[in-house]
Amino acid sequence: MKIRVFCFLFLVASSASLLAQSQTPSLNSNSRDSATSSAQRPLTKLPPETILVRGAFSSASDSVTPVPESGTVSQDAFTDPYFGINYPLPRDWFQEYEGPPPSESGLYVLAQIGPRKDGPDSASMLITAQDLFFTPLPTTNALELNQFLNDHLQDYYKVEAAPTPMKIAGRTFSFFSYWSPAAELHWYVLAIDIRCHALQFVLTSRDTKLLDSLMLDLNRMKLPADVSATAGEGGGSVPVCIKDYAQDSNLVDRVDPIFTEHRFSPVPVRIIIDTQGKIKHIHFISAFPDQAKAISDALEQWKFKPYLRDGRPVEVETGILFGRVPHPVAPHPVAPSAVTPRATGAAVR
Amino acid sequence: MSTLRFVSLPLALLFAARIGLAQTDPGVQTASRGTGATIINPSNDPNGFTAFFNDGFNRFQEIETVSNSANTGLGPRFNSNQCSSCHAQPAVGGSGAATNPQFLIISSGVAPDDTLPSFVTATGPTVEARAPFFLNSSGEINTKAPNGGVEDLFTVTGRSDAGSCSLIQPNFAAYLAANDLIFRIPTPTFGAGLIENLDDSTLIANQVNNLKNTLGIAGTFNHSGNDGTITRFGWKAQNKSLHIFAGEAYNVEMGVSNELFTQDRPLPEEEQATGLPSACLNLSGTGYPEDTSNPTQTTNAAVLDDVSAFANFMRFLAPPPPGGVVLNGSQVPTSTIAAGSALFNSVGCANCHNPSPGVTQVSNFVPALSSVQVNAFSDIEIHKMGTRLADNVAQGSASGEEFRTAPLWGLGQRIFLLHDGRTTDLFTAIQDHKSSGSEATTVIENFNKLTTTQQQEVLDFLRSL
Ligand code: HEC
Ligand code: HEC
Repeated sequence: MKIRVFCFLFLVASSASLLAQSQTPSLNSNSRDSATSSAQRPLTKLPPETILVRGAFSSASDSVTPVPESGTVSQDAFTDPYFGINYPLPRDWFQEYEGPPPSESGLYVLAQIGPRKDGPDSASMLITAQDLFFTPLPTTNALELNQFLNDHLQDYYKVEAAPTPMKIAGRTFSFFSYWSPAAELHWYVLAIDIRCHALQFVLTSRDTKLLDSLMLDLNRMKLPADVSATAGEGGGSVPVCIKDYAQDSNLVDRVDPIFTEHRFSPVPVRIIIDTQGKIKHIHFISAFPDQAKAISDALEQWKFKPYLRDGRPVEVETGILFGRVPHPVAPHPVAPSAVTPRATGAAVR
Repeated sequence: MSTLRFVSLPLALLFAARIGLAQTDPGVQTASRGTGATIINPSNDPNGFTAFFNDGFNRFQEIETVSNSANTGLGPRFNSNQCSSCHAQPAVGGSGAATNPQFLIISSGVAPDDTLPSFVTATGPTVEARAPFFLNSSGEINTKAPNGGVEDLFTVTGRSDAGSCSLIQPNFAAYLAANDLIFRIPTPTFGAGLIENLDDSTLIANQVNNLKNTLGIAGTFNHSGNDGTITRFGWKAQNKSLHIFAGEAYNVEMGVSNELFTQDRPLPEEEQATGLPSACLNLSGTGYPEDTSNPTQTTNAAVLDDVSAFANFMRFLAPPPPGGVVLNGSQVPTSTIAAGSALFNSVGCANCHNPSPGVTQVSNFVPALSSVQVNAFSDIEIHKMGTRLADNVAQGSASGEEFRTAPLWGLGQRIFLLHDGRTTDLFTAIQDHKSSGSEATTVIENFNKLTTTQQQEVLDFLRSL
């Protein structure tokens, strides 16, 4: 009997919150407002939360090859087949809202998770990936990215711990933390290179003890074998990451795309080249459909010199920027080997 | 007994929720801040643009008629008959007023034969309406046929100065029934001359700077389809200059053809069919365009066409001055405002609502527009704002879910908030940033981690702008 009452209340509460969601949420008691919003939101034929009219968006040449944004938060775990990550969420955590689609600078919001009850005593976690082929920041790996952010914090933040290596889930991350004295909020930033991207796990809370325990909790995460704060070039069945591979003598045949419309957006494209030197997978991080069509028609005709590792051809993953160069590309401070630092002059019109 | 429990417990829950929302939007600040003055220093105006500002100020308030008056060209379709009817709050050039002038357009005889659309209410937001998609012949939404153009609310049908022109209004009831109608409220134009005078290089440098964040935010710009440069005006940053916006507004909002938009504008549906009926063309009897420059006038300002005059007026409007905040009848201490400003930055609002995206170029108009810090609280970028704000209208390279970071200067005296004016409450406007697909979700979660007192400080700060 007691249980029945409870269930019923739960239903009432949840349907009330559903209602609040389907209308534009209005916590507002202002009568002026409620008068108009009821008139503005009549019968629902189209699900109100559907986005149909897109600008540049992400797409891929096939639907089986995992792409970075194919990660999901479900059944209490964050899994991303592209990066080979599996992280069982802390108890009672969930993802309320999915992140935005990938940006034209190659930034992915992979997951934004937190406790079911948000508030001053809670914490949250943001998981992002920055494509290192396209980052406009002068960084070539996760360590440099953390160092760069640490060095360029806005003056309303204070560094709490400068970047330092940190072992988590058996791998070496770069860790730094900063806080806002005004907001009394702390940010723990853990970064690691996985497959051509710098991944960041950003934990936020007022409570550093909570952050410490959440960081420990990340030990339950499963990561691919060959990752660290400065590696992540791929291995095993994963292609080798080489920035700016699609140029100079690597490129045997090349045909420029013929654009039918005059667009002014940059089109970052991630490709996988097979061991024969042909393109086997194209991922448009951000493109209008007409741009994607013109580019894939062209790329189908491209031919590369196969990339050899230990004398054997291996698959290569690289990026090409079509359309318009979005940002002035800052000079790279150092020249490590795995991800070749060359200015993104590969922009093709 | 148990039925009583059913009723009272949810009620108690509701109560608890309201008490939890202890922070209060201080609301529209009524003390005058001097908003609406010109940026021009009359004693440092070597080219004499003050006269152009004053002339534009008058023309911006002129009421247009269809024919037989000094100001003709209204219609055949329109949303209102005067720029300042929509751009009114808290001064001429601003956003929508507390009482919606569109509510009286029919009863006052401006559009005598029309029917008032249900969404136009006396104290609701002043709006323009757009249908994201065309409807098919049975009145259902056709998602394969994007529309997005402005559906003008009113027609000149039945006016004594409109001859035999007879038009029907868009079928708003059908659009509403199909859930295929979105609204846009007027954006204020104070300080617009400064935004216009930011060089692309300044904005691009600011964009790269904004990427230094751990919040998952990476915006982009909208671009002109003609020359590829950054566009900046309107809710989706869809227009490049004040001149272009003025020409488009005169044409779309008021139906006045001009040197930039040279024909009378049919509805998107009419454009797809046979255009405007001939009985509704050249209603002013002057020929096209209805607004031209006036070579025989004797003062310099009067020689200009209306569109140039409007552009001059808006370009020379000073940015809205910040001011003190009154909450529940008492003055908020400046230390509270300062604390709110620091919190606004710290939680990450400033990553999009950049307090200053940069400094203007040297101006060929007036020294007052040269080398000035633009405290617009916007990066002028467009951001993906998620399903809760998405309006499914694409403009330029902005998609259905992308919007220009709304400049927050002048927020203290704004009534309706967000692109469709859905709320008058700052707290609601902030929470609506959070939904699937939004770049702002993490920042709003940070805001929600603040104590109630801190959140109140942010709201107080916002009303000081
Ligand atoms: C019916 C109401 C209405 C009338 C009349 C009207 N506007 Fe607007 N105005 C709007 C709306 C709505 C927007 C926002 C449009 C959008 O972005 O979709 C706007 C935006 C603008 C902007 C962009 C400002 C910015 O910074 O984004 C300018 C400039 C402007 N109007 C000028 C004018 C001029 C000049 C006139 C008179 C010719 C005029 N408007 C008449 C409703 C109106
Ligand atoms: C990802 C970028 C982004 C972040 C972060 C962001 N905003 Fe906004 N904000 C926008 C955009 C874009 C709009 C216009 C949205 C619309 O009208 O649909 C907007 C609109 C607003 C408005 C309404 C202004 C108007 O003219 O109606 C307010 C108030 C506001 N933001 C406050 C905040 C505050 C406070 C924060 C931090 C807690 C914040 N925003 C964080 C992008 C952002």
